[in-house]
Amino acid sequence: MSSVSPAVPAVPSLRNPLSPLVYALVGVAILGALLYGIFSTGQAPDVLLNIFTTRFLGIFIEAVPFLLLGSLISGLIESYVRTDDLLRYLPRNPILSTLAGVFLGIIFPVCECGVVPVVRRLYMKGLPISVGMTFLLAAPFMNPIVFASTYIAFGFGPIFIGRFLITFVVAGAVGLIFALTSKPNDVLQSGVILQETGWENMQPRRSFAAGLRYAMVTAATEFFEMGRYLVFGCLLAAALQTLVSQEALFSIGRGPILSALVMLVLAFLLSVCSTVDAFIALAFSLTFPTGSLLAFLSFGPMVDIKSTLMFRGIFKPRIVFYLVLLPFLMNWVIAALINITLGYY
Amino acid sequence: MMTPTAAPPRWQEGLKCAVMIGMGLYLAALILTNRLSNYINLQFGWLTLMSAVLLIGMGLWSLWQMRRPTAFGTHLPIQLSSLFVLSIPLLLGVLVPSQPLSASAITGGVSLNPVGGRMVQNYVKPPLERNILEWLREFSNTANPVAFDGMEVDVVGFIYREPNMEANQFMVARFTMSCCVADAFAIGLPVEAESIADLADGTWIRVRGTLKSGTFNGNAVPIITPTAIDPIDTPDQPYLYS
Repeated sequence: MSSVSPAVPAVPSLRNPLSPLVYALVGVAILGALLYGIFSTGQAPDVLLNIFTTRFLGIFIEAVPFLLLGSLISGLIESYVRTDDLLRYLPRNPILSTLAGVFLGIIFPVCECGVVPVVRRLYMKGLPISVGMTFLLAAPFMNPIVFASTYIAFGFGPIFIGRFLITFVVAGAVGLIFALTSKPNDVLQSGVILQETGWENMQPRRSFAAGLRYAMVTAATEFFEMGRYLVFGCLLAAALQTLVSQEALFSIGRGPILSALVMLVLAFLLSVCSTVDAFIALAFSLTFPTGSLLAFLSFGPMVDIKSTLMFRGIFKPRIVFYLVLLPFLMNWVIAALINITLGYY
Repeated sequence: MMTPTAAPPRWQEGLKCAVMIGMGLYLAALILTNRLSNYINLQFGWLTLMSAVLLIGMGLWSLWQMRRPTAFGTHLPIQLSSLFVLSIPLLLGVLVPSQPLSASAITGGVSLNPVGGRMVQNYVKPPLERNILEWLREFSNTANPVAFDGMEVDVVGFIYREPNMEANQFMVARFTMSCCVADAFAIGLPVEAESIADLADGTWIRVRGTLKSGTFNGNAVPIITPTAIDPIDTPDQPYLYS
């Protein structure tokens, strides 16, 4: 931020967050999975295409409203929120502000599809890296909508309290790790870094109408920018679901450690929206112990196939890797400990 | 945070509007033609309706902006690849015939255990009104399968067979879901009947008959002895909601 600033800041470049190599790899993976599916199931290709399409559209249609909502919120932030506003209300102490990030979801109620465009926008406005990370990981659960769906599914009991505590601990821990070590240039894609702090704060505030117009433009752009990661994620999730059966997963998932692992993998593969995943966990509540259900409910909102791909729009690849691995390991350890403590079957 | 940039080509702007409006219209068409239930739990249908309205609104608004000379701040460049990627769902939705998941989508067998857990209310429906999911819940609440002997059933599902089943055995199966086909899970009731070999896997049927405990795939479970098996059309709501 201290470098010599251009008179007019560069437009946050939206170019090239996905390299052609990644496109090619994802394409080959999907193609390979489809080919494998065609040969291994012995189904006619048109039948498989139908199944794949139904699964893909199901996940996509379910996620689109939340992506739109996230894009609109992102547009409104771009229009009406200034860097100054953002920094004024965050605690000065980096540890406190990182932990405060856990609860930002209560102000910006978004699920894991919606949170990515919002975080990206907040980074462009100069939000500290670690605060954005805790927000990114925690917000898909820490918001009024998901509180409600979890409460409806499980009531106010061990699952609700456990989900709250685990999300707080894991998201907070990951954020703190990055709070101590990272600089924006090492973590973020170049287009997401705040170029210049002073410029925007000196502009007159937009009028309500002009702001709304600008918010709409930004929202539409955001929808396309983030939407393509969503589409890739849905394609991948649908391809994997057409191949890997839930039943096969269940048959290996016994015992306190393996059953937690199965639920973690399932949460990653299913890629369902955090606003409804409590109802899905309910469906597993007879076959899986509490700790494993909590693994599903805490890890799924943080990381899944489609959000991992969307992370690529914000973070450098190495950081995306850590953002998947750290929550995965932490959730696994916590879930296994809960299973061992509370008992399992 | 923006500077005047060269406006993207008009055809690119036009394509962007077309993708948004097209996707909105596609979602609206799914709702109007009752095909949305092939994809998601209709409980969340209002979210799809909201998306359709928003997408069409945003698309029309962008189209309206195109009429004016390019003004500062009305156009932001987007990557061309985004346009193509976002048209994938639209293309698949329009070109591939819409079908619910059926027997061919089952990859790992059909479960004899109900889904939907502890919180489900156990109010008892009259036996003839219970669907497959409700029967399985009843079975799981009662340890002894003999308790259901002689009860009458009337259920709808599709035919599912596995190689290791006896020649006279099959299952009448359904997919259950909580939110969308991502969490679809196949469940079914075993049936033992002579002479249904002419009905293919995946055929939707209505089965009427009585329950009789027996052994199916090594499990002691109630098995349907049918009095009538009638082929039917795919139901309006192909999935059971758990």
